[in-house]
Amino acid sequence: MRWRIAAALTIGMASTPAMAANKVAPLPPYVAAYQPTNVDERGAWMMADEDERHLRDAADVIRDPALNAYVRGVLCRTVGEDRCKSVRLYILRVPAFNATMTANGTMTIWSGALLRLRNEAELGAVLGHEFGHFELRHTLSSFRNRRSGSDLMAWASILVANSGAMQISTIGGFYAFDRAQETSADMIGVRYLATSRYPSAAAADVWDRIMGEADATAIGRHRKANQKYVAGFFATHPTNLARATYLRAAAQEIGDGGSAAADAYRAALAPWLPTFLADQVKLNDFGGSEFVLAQLAADGWTTPLLFARAELYRERGNPRDLVSAAGFYQDAIARGDAPPEAYRGLGLSLLRSQQIEPGKVALRDYLRRKPDAGDAALISTLVDS
Amino acid sequence: MSFRRLGLSVAIAAALISVPAIAGNKLIPAGTRIAVAKSTLTVQPASEWNKLGARPGRNAETWTLDGDALNDLTFYGGIDAGKPLFREADRKNRPLPTVSATMLITDIPALLESSYRIALGTAAMSIGTVEPVTFAGGKGVRFTYAFTRQGETLHRRGEGRGAMIGGRLYLITYEAPALYYFDRSVAAARQVADSARL
Repeated sequence: MRWRIAAALTIGMASTPAMAANKVAPLPPYVAAYQPTNVDERGAWMMADEDERHLRDAADVIRDPALNAYVRGVLCRTVGEDRCKSVRLYILRVPAFNATMTANGTMTIWSGALLRLRNEAELGAVLGHEFGHFELRHTLSSFRNRRSGSDLMAWASILVANSGAMQISTIGGFYAFDRAQETSADMIGVRYLATSRYPSAAAADVWDRIMGEADATAIGRHRKANQKYVAGFFATHPTNLARATYLRAAAQEIGDGGSAAADAYRAALAPWLPTFLADQVKLNDFGGSEFVLAQLAADGWTTPLLFARAELYRERGNPRDLVSAAGFYQDAIARGDAPPEAYRGLGLSLLRSQQIEPGKVALRDYLRRKPDAGDAALISTLVDS
Repeated sequence: MSFRRLGLSVAIAAALISVPAIAGNKLIPAGTRIAVAKSTLTVQPASEWNKLGARPGRNAETWTLDGDALNDLTFYGGIDAGKPLFREADRKNRPLPTVSATMLITDIPALLESSYRIALGTAAMSIGTVEPVTFAGGKGVRFTYAFTRQGETLHRRGEGRGAMIGGRLYLITYEAPALYYFDRSVAAARQVADSARL
């Protein structure tokens, strides 16, 4: 079983008692090179080892040594040097906000999360949360909870007349147990931040923006923005709103400061930013992508951000979008360090807007700047026709 | 029950279970011109193919030699503006991009790329070379691509030919594992795509 930071699915209507008192507990004592102790835990580790062998060779793993060293460094600075030695960290190129942890210490963080986080403190909050699942042995306790629950249901179906209500409450108990584990991982994550150089308030900021993006995605798809105030019956995670609220309260209680290291984060991500942006733009999620871009451009529109925004508008392709796209391409080009593809996008936007001659000029520029482009032959026919 | 009897009954059970799944599959004979993807697009294969009963979408159809995981020749026959390339698994949360009547031929590979990225949940999908070609009598595009499904290690290669004709998208794609299978049947697939006519 894998632990994920984000709830993939929130359905159901029934409410559960809110986690009222989330006190920030001290960190548990740490044991180096922990080994699974009993048959249940050895089984969980064996399955996790098998999954990790598969993951290690997967095509989605980003193997760039610099990026891996950087993200690992943030993990170590958050949870401490001794703790971080027990983790193998994999960066996956998947454009969604997520991070996962398995029983044996396999941690993944997805490129969509790296794109959305703004500084080292927020990255530390996410990685610390995942490490919390590992340190608190959540996979094992969740497995045991489910097994004893299903044993209970099996006996109840034989021994108790009309045991349906009991089964429903037991199943509900599984999900409530998972949510309680998520909350405790959040709280231990805050505790790691508090002992690190990073400010613990960063954890709550992440969830505020995730809510904003979910609303923007819904509105962009002509749906109602739909934030849940209480976790549903089948929800595996607390609501984003609940997490933002209790994390904010916990950080205020701790009241620590420190630098979130936003500049260092931006610099480390810079080589990958165009790739991650392109992955996001190709998701056909105009509202969400526009929100992410606006968040990233809080301190001003850089060339990669302008180019990504132009591609996003050109992809949606309404007549007004093509006009906007051409403008963003021109802004990117005016900054002087735009990639050749900016001329390609400008040319194609203009062609689709029936501005044939200016479009051809831009496409000729593209061919001059990148004569060996994969689509050079095709673009030449557009210029010549 | 002896092992032999057990083996036989397992075989019968397997045959019974698999009957509904293969019921719609059909042998495509060599040398006959045939309409594909419930459209006016026709092709004339020089060798035998198998048509799968399961369609990727309303105006799409898949042929294969050894199973669609090993070689997959898919026809998209005149996808209307406003429609996605293939059936959407989750329209609410992961809607696919749709065909637009004003698309340039450069947008055809981009549409396939974006659709695959969303449907397969992977960022490991890229377009290779893109070149002009005459396809089904129209001005079209021929492109290569490569992708890996999320969490898999198997690299697949693909080749597509498409054109916008009368505001509709006509597209034929061939894809197979890069190891051995792509090269083995690419010539047969190209022959089918070359024979496309409207």
